[in-house]
Order: sequence, then C-alpha cells, then structure tokens
Amino acid sequence: MQSTINGGPAFSYIDVDLEPGESVIAESDAMSSMAADLDMTARFNGGFFSGLLKKFFGGESLFVNEFTNQTNAVRRVTLVQNTPGEVREVQLNGDSICLQPGAYICSTPGLELGVRWAGLVSWIAREGMFKLVVSGKGTLWYGAYGGLLEKEIDGEYVVDTGHLVAYEPQMKLKLQLAGGLFSSFFGGEGLVTRVEGKGKVILQTRSLSGLVGWLNPKLR
Amino acid sequence: MIAMSADVQVETTTHKRGSGSVLRAVKRLLAGESFFLNHYTASGAGGDVWLAATLSGDMMTYDLQQENLIVQAGSFVACDDSVNVDMNWQGLKSVFSGERLFWLNLSGAGGVVLSSFGAIYSVEVDGEYIVDTGHIVAFNETLDFKISKAGASWVSSILGGEGFVCRFQGQGTVWCQSHNGPGFGKALGPKLRPRSA
Repeated sequence: MQSTINGGPAFSYIDVDLEPGESVIAESDAMSSMAADLDMTARFNGGFFSGLLKKFFGGESLFVNEFTNQTNAVRRVTLVQNTPGEVREVQLNGDSICLQPGAYICSTPGLELGVRWAGLVSWIAREGMFKLVVSGKGTLWYGAYGGLLEKEIDGEYVVDTGHLVAYEPQMKLKLQLAGGLFSSFFGGEGLVTRVEGKGKVILQTRSLSGLVGWLNPKLR
Repeated sequence: MIAMSADVQVETTTHKRGSGSVLRAVKRLLAGESFFLNHYTASGAGGDVWLAATLSGDMMTYDLQQENLIVQAGSFVACDDSVNVDMNWQGLKSVFSGERLFWLNLSGAGGVVLSSFGAIYSVEVDGEYIVDTGHIVAFNETLDFKISKAGASWVSSILGGEGFVCRFQGQGTVWCQSHNGPGFGKALGPKLRPRSA
C-alpha cells in the first residue's frame, strides 16, 4: 500500500493506492473519489454494540466503509475528513492511541477501533461519554480542524478541551475550571482539561466551537 | 474582484458583447450563477485585475482550446472574453449529483478561472471512475457521468454514508475538490444557533 497526504496542511486529503487484495477502512462519507472497480462495503464500526456505543456516546458513525481491491492492478481511493485541516499518519505497532470524537479518518484492517469509558465529566464537556481507542498493528490516519501540534508531556499540562485531538492511552484526563471562578467564566476559557502522565498529546490549532462562537452572533 | 488597476473599465451586462441576449442571463441565473457579469477591459496601457473566490480553497486556471468544459456553476470565477458561457443540462440525474441542477458549459478558446472548497485534484479517466457527489469541480465534455451506488449493494452504499456517487465514463479529465460544503456543514451545523425567524 502506498499513501500520500496531499493538499496540506489547509486542505489535506489522503490518496491511498491499494495493491491487489489490500483494503482500507474509512469513516463514513470519507471517500471523495475512487477507481470504479474497487469494492466498497459498509460494516459495523467494530461490532454491533461497540458501533452503537460509538455512535451515540462517542460521536463516531455507526458504520465504517471498507474499500477492497479485488482487481489485479493498483487502484486508488481518495479519502478526506469533513473539516478543512491537517491530517497525520501514524504507525501503530501493538500500541494504541486515543482519539477525540471526529478525529478518525481511516486505517488499515489490522487496527481495531474500540471504545473506552471516558467519564461523565467528558460527556458534560460535550466530548463524548466514550472515547475512541485505536490499537493493533497498522497505519492510522486522523485529522483535525486547523493545524496539528504535538506536545510531549511529563507531569501535568493544561489543554483547552476543544483543542484536544489525540493522546496516548496512559495519559489521564481531568476536567477542571481554567482558573478561579472569575477567570474561568470571564477569561473565555471555561473548562479545560488537565492532562497527567508521561507521553504525547496532539492538539489542533483551531476549534469548531471557536468558529461557531464567531459565526453565531453574525447569523440573523 | 479584490483589486484592479485604476484605469480598468468595468461594465456590468447581462450578456457578452455581441453575443446572446437577456435569455442567456436567465439561463445563467438558472445555473446558479449571477444574472449579471462584470466585464473588465484594460486601457491601452494594459492593467491588472485581482480575483478571489468566496470559499477558502484552491483556484485553478484552464486553457480552453476549442473544446467544451462542463463546470459546476459555483466553481466558475472568470474567463476570457473569447470564451462562451452557456447553461448546460446534464439531465435529471443532476438532482442526485450533490451539485446544482444546471451546469455551465464553457466553450471556445481562452483562459478560464475556477475555484473550489478545498484542494483541487485532477483524475485522468480512461474507462470508469467514481467521484462522490458534491466533489465535482469540472470535467471534459468527452466524459459522461451517471448516478450510481458506491458500494457493491445499495444497502452498503446507504449504510456507509456514501449514498449516491457519480460514475464517470469515457476518456478525459475530471477535476475534483477534496472537501465539500455539505460535509463541513454536517460538522458545523449542529453547533450553530438556529436562525430567528
């Protein structure tokens, strides 16, 4: 399998060239174009119950699409996320990564998409009651609205909840007020996430709620 | 237009000088373009006009050489005076194409400027190729598309969220936009405040 991320960073999309027999799994409606003789089949997002959990509590779709090349030549499928922004490719080697709702775009079949309890607090912050955990061996593509930033953390770090995209599973997330009561509500930050542990977090430079906050007063 | 030389003449008309009529403007209106076109004419010394699209995304130029280019109406930005802009009817299938019902048919010879939401990439079609609805910018008239299912079965296509797709046939180039408005709208829409009536 050959893949390239093009159009980036503002409008990243993924060209995946599948060898005969290979397949790639993608988020519902991620396909923008593909060779006509590729097979596309919808399947539950990691099993029926897990799929339901993901849809209703994790902000992901109930179904994912599997694109399979059953021809005997290389075939291309072009995949994209629905927000403009950067896309990143990661190789997982038996390890796992946690994704915030909406960040998942596509992955190779060796990876498993699971859900894990994220907590009531996460649900209150509208980040989903469950979190998506991708694990196994293979390649994962995820993306964000805006650019992607990476931060290595050892100890504690405070992140705006709407800007968190992905993090390593050993990291502990705690929701809290940004500062005191006053600065939290008048400083515009409100709730933030305190990340604890040793590992990486991935952040997005923009947030949809930021755009919405800017747009809403302009709508009449 | 975002800027231009001070001595460029701007003339707003319903049709191109010496060709067509108000009827053509009505047809353009049907295609989702403006009723009026702005003509920018340079003075004897020449001049510049800077153009930009409304949506964030790529723009492309195409050199039309006595051929037809079918353009999704929202993507059309500008063209040389020598290019004919006409409405194009691709049949009722357009209802399902995620684009507007009417298309623009650019013919003749000259430069064309198009825009998109997202990046523009081209696909050389020789035989068949599938483009998801809402991702078409333009295509050579040598290509034809029909609406079909994306997956092996309709059940799969609808459950998988792809629904209808455009299946291009023939030989030529189709220009696609990486992103599409409805997709972004789906992510943004639920967060927007409902409009007060």
